Amino acid sequence: TRAQGQKVVPVPVWRVSFLVVGCCGWWVLTAKMLRNLLALRQIAQRTISTASRRQFENKVPEKQKLFQEDNGIPVHLKGGVADALLYRATMVLTVGGTAYAIYQLAMASFPKKQD
Amino acid sequence: MTHQTHSYHMVNPSPWPLTGALSALLTTSGLVMWFHHNSSFLLTLSMATNMLTMYQWWRDVVREGTFQGHHTPTVQKGLRYGMILFITSEIFFFAGFFWAFYHSSLAPTPELGGCWPPTGITPLNPLEVPLLNTSVLLASGVSITWAHHSLMEGDRKHMIQALFITILLGLYFTILQTSEYYEAPFTISDGIYGSTFFMATGFHGLHVIIGSTFLIVCFLRQLNYHFTSDHHFGFEAAAWYWHFVDVVWLFLYVSIYWWGS
Repeated sequence: TRAQGQKVVPVPVWRVSFLVVGCCGWWVLTAKMLRNLLALRQIAQRTISTASRRQFENKVPEKQKLFQEDNGIPVHLKGGVADALLYRATMVLTVGGTAYAIYQLAMASFPKKQD
Repeated sequence: MTHQTHSYHMVNPSPWPLTGALSALLTTSGLVMWFHHNSSFLLTLSMATNMLTMYQWWRDVVREGTFQGHHTPTVQKGLRYGMILFITSEIFFFAGFFWAFYHSSLAPTPELGGCWPPTGITPLNPLEVPLLNTSVLLASGVSITWAHHSLMEGDRKHMIQALFITILLGLYFTILQTSEYYEAPFTISDGIYGSTFFMATGFHGLHVIIGSTFLIVCFLRQLNYHFTSDHHFGFEAAAWYWHFVDVVWLFLYVSIYWWGS
């Protein structure tokens, strides 16, 4: 309830939604993957069973061989080139972002005098 | 080649704790920039780096367990303890919001009209969508148990079906709750009623989204043959989390929706 004369200031929904954008974004991504997978399954089930087996073959033994290779590469890079790219991107964003945050802190710490 | 003579897992050095901690720094400073300096750039960056960290860290845990065989029974015991402790901490998190609700609703102040719900608040009818939401989550608890038993019995087809149904029910709950939020006759700024209602149900909704995501990851892993009939702790952890989310809803429903109306 509001006192008489008080204005209602609507908050733009998109500003508030930033806080859940991350979680929802991830969820939307995996939901999209799921939808595609299910569409594939439905099509596969209409054809002969060997076709659907082609969609989801057990590739775990292959992965086990790849990740157990004795090459000294740490697990976060052992998958291949894509691992290194994703790692680099993550580092650049986090370290760069940290530098930017510290810069903003420095700016906020020395307010400009008003003339 | 050296071999360990113990059953524990000595992990490879990993960058993800650092990137996770930095993304937390970006989140806090990003909130400051958003609240006080009209900029959402840092906050967006923090969401991105957080997602990247979580994806890669958990991807590595799957590699270490499923592909490298590091998750011995000893290690699995530790993972179980860890998940139980985490869920316990979440229980305490929600306890705070329930405390706030009961503090204000058991002894409503004169400013509220000395009653609960406060004067001017029209609460949602607990026998409409909230009751449907309750049945949806309870049913999802049944379907996830069906999925687990199918998994333990080596019944791949039924495990996939049951887990799929569980995920659909979770999504259905989220859609229903979102529409309730849009249609509600009160907002978060409507006094202590609005604050306690939306903080408690809002964080619960976020946990439903997190739980649904965890279940979807398990679904994809099951499709890719990661789980065996006697080793599938990732799925068990997701099931524990999902039951926790269900129980929190039951408390919310009884306390805020039903007693609180």
